[in-house]
Amino acid sequence: MARPAPQKAEADRSQEKGFVRLPDIEIACEAFSGTLGMLIHCVREHKVDLLGVPLGPICESYFRHLMQGQADVDAAAAGAAALSYLVERKSGLLLPRPEDDLPPDEDLDRPEAEPWIHLFGPAMEALQERHDERGKVFFRAPGGEAARYELPLELGEASAADLARVLADLLSRAEPEPPEALSRPRRSLTDQMKIVLLALTPELRPLDQIITGSFTRSEVVWWFLALLELIRLGQARVTVEGHDVRFAGRAA
Amino acid sequence: MNRLAALEAALFAADTPLSAEALADALDVPVFQVEEDMERLARRLGPDSGLQIVRIAGGYQLATKPEFASLVARITKPQTGRLTRAQLEVLAIVAYQQPITIPEIDGVRGVQSDYTVRQLADRRLITDAGRRDSPGRPVLYATTLNFLHLFNLDSLSELPDLALRDGEMMAIGPRTIDDQPSLELPES
Repeated sequence: MARPAPQKAEADRSQEKGFVRLPDIEIACEAFSGTLGMLIHCVREHKVDLLGVPLGPICESYFRHLMQGQADVDAAAAGAAALSYLVERKSGLLLPRPEDDLPPDEDLDRPEAEPWIHLFGPAMEALQERHDERGKVFFRAPGGEAARYELPLELGEASAADLARVLADLLSRAEPEPPEALSRPRRSLTDQMKIVLLALTPELRPLDQIITGSFTRSEVVWWFLALLELIRLGQARVTVEGHDVRFAGRAA
Repeated sequence: MNRLAALEAALFAADTPLSAEALADALDVPVFQVEEDMERLARRLGPDSGLQIVRIAGGYQLATKPEFASLVARITKPQTGRLTRAQLEVLAIVAYQQPITIPEIDGVRGVQSDYTVRQLADRRLITDAGRRDSPGRPVLYATTLNFLHLFNLDSLSELPDLALRDGEMMAIGPRTIDDQPSLELPES
């Protein structure tokens, strides 16, 4: 959840201005996502709930940062001071205050802020009423062992070898991956299937007429996977005419 | 193919609500046709059947009739899934204010809610719905289809509008979470 982030070029410039840059540690947890510096800022401004931020992994990340020799003495000291501040603030939140020597009941711990939960009273009543009604009806329990049944595939005369040949043809026409492709977020297979469905028409066509323009190898693979899934689900068809393998959407 | 019989078979086999759109797609008929057929099927089940067709969580599902609740419960021995007051408070807040962060829920209740939120997320009644674009990017929560199912709701719009302090009304917003998780464990 916490890891050292790449060093930035302006670190020295900050130091020239008299600021000591905190170690670049990135934090990602439910309550907070950002750098250590941003966390300190948000805690000071009361914009983040520190109880939801586990400090152990952040400290471990800081130690890793030190062991890798990525921080000079000033930055290491600033990091230690920042972590101490967080530990102190969190301890203050966790430790019982003298006047709070009472059982940890939520209702006894209401702070100064003016809650307005009472406005939700009618909603809670409605929910309770519906929950009670719902308790009187029963549905089929999930996970019942339904017989395994495979939808029949509309492969026509096409074989796995025909499909592999089409994929190989496409891959041979694909362009090399751009260098940043690996870091680019990939769309889900469901989204890709929607795109492929839009491209398919009721008329059977070879794939090179369906996929036009330039494409990379990974795009081809993703496109083809979506097409195979659509065939499996009966939403796309494939036939072989001579040497041509043709694809179409499900007939209207 | 007898469409009513086909719909009955689909409802019998399904353990989650079936949307009219999904049924229309499977039967290759328009959605309104499925809705009409469902009404006919519900009439056909009528008073002599122990089953009814209910609209719940955005779909249709076959359920037992309430008058047989105690008999069915004696046989199936369902687990009790009572909700605490804290859980009900958090659910009401999330239902009306979604997507919402834990600090915002805390603000409404005046107490910390992270433990209750985790319990409700474990029961799949609320879910992570992305992060707010504000300092710290806190996680946003929204209700799920399981929530609708547990509270016998077809949609959130069935909940009442609430009166706010200044006399305005707070309606269930038409906020939709694109990535609603699929219904997995409706509780009996």
